Amino acid sequence: MLRRLMERRFHCTVCGKCCYGKLPLTLNDAIANAGRFPLAMFWTAVRQGAKSFEITARLGATATLLNRKKIALQITPVAYLPPLFPCPALSPDGRCAIHADRPLRCRAMPFYPFREESDQVDMLVPRKGWDCDTSANAPVVYRDRKVVHRGDFDRERQGLIDQASIVRAYADSLMANAPNVAMAVEKAARKRHGGHVVLNFTGILPKLSNIDAPSFARKQLPVLSGYADRTAGTSELKEFHEYYGNCATGMKRLLERR
Amino acid sequence: MRSRYSAFVLGNIGYLADTLGPEIIGEFDQIEAESIANDAKWQGLEIRAITGGGVDDETGSVEFISRFRLRGEQRVHHELSNFRRQQGRWVCSGGRVNPKGPPRQVGKVGRNEACPCGSGRKYKKCCGA
Repeated sequence: MLRRLMERRFHCTVCGKCCYGKLPLTLNDAIANAGRFPLAMFWTAVRQGAKSFEITARLGATATLLNRKKIALQITPVAYLPPLFPCPALSPDGRCAIHADRPLRCRAMPFYPFREESDQVDMLVPRKGWDCDTSANAPVVYRDRKVVHRGDFDRERQGLIDQASIVRAYADSLMANAPNVAMAVEKAARKRHGGHVVLNFTGILPKLSNIDAPSFARKQLPVLSGYADRTAGTSELKEFHEYYGNCATGMKRLLERR
Repeated sequence: MRSRYSAFVLGNIGYLADTLGPEIIGEFDQIEAESIANDAKWQGLEIRAITGGGVDDETGSVEFISRFRLRGEQRVHHELSNFRRQQGRWVCSGGRVNPKGPPRQVGKVGRNEACPCGSGRKYKKCCGA
């Protein structure tokens, strides 16, 4: 009996229900998909004492608030989609059109390497409306707080570790030089459950030696313009619409200058 | 410095990139700068302090405040920028946003010492009374 309590079963039924809304990506996956996803940088404040504080500080950055409290910042590129918008790679038949080349985040589902390996139980509870199979027929995927088939989990975790120094340099320079970012982080940290800040993805480009702004902009601009059109005119999507529009304007001007 | 502010107002982001030293070009997001230049309503540049930067100098610094409105929000950018001559041209070599002023020194005057106002009387009989 005890043994069974330590086990969690899970089987993906390919229902495609988790392929909606914001998707965290590694930097490499973000760059590789610049022609597909509207990208943003997503910052989430994690308080000291939270379960994932340590690992967030290790994979992201830390900051000291005006009240001298220390917070950890989870900082990740995301495919910045409104919650009800399907992934652009989701085909009408509910299948993934890029399944063989899909991002590490999709491969490691339902596990989440931004959290400790011992802290994954919550991730194995299907969300409302999802058709994940967690019955006795599904295979055991998590035993004694360890991931059983760990290849994809380890690969995404390694990706996060490999990019951590770039992400930290990016975060530290914005926290020091951009008062509006520091202020937004202050506000987010005051929220009870993980306040967040959405920033332009392009802020991290100068830290990446292998990609230049114009070639990135050429891939990303049509994607952003498309999403700006699709989110026009509704007040719930205003935040998204303005984000796409502002980034697109910057890219258009950059490309026109050349 | 003034030319960099003017370039921002005129939307000449290329000039902004060209007047950054190699040590800080890695901090500059040209795409975001283009987007800000497109939307900002500039309200002025105030020079707070200058050191060096003369015809015979190789380095200099400028403390400035620029004010602008961006997408319905009032923004104030206060920075102490360092400049350096590179092949005859001034380039920005770094800076500190919202710089701290030099620490304030407060000396203590003994009650029986001469008053610092220069009256010649004891402090306790003069300003310290």
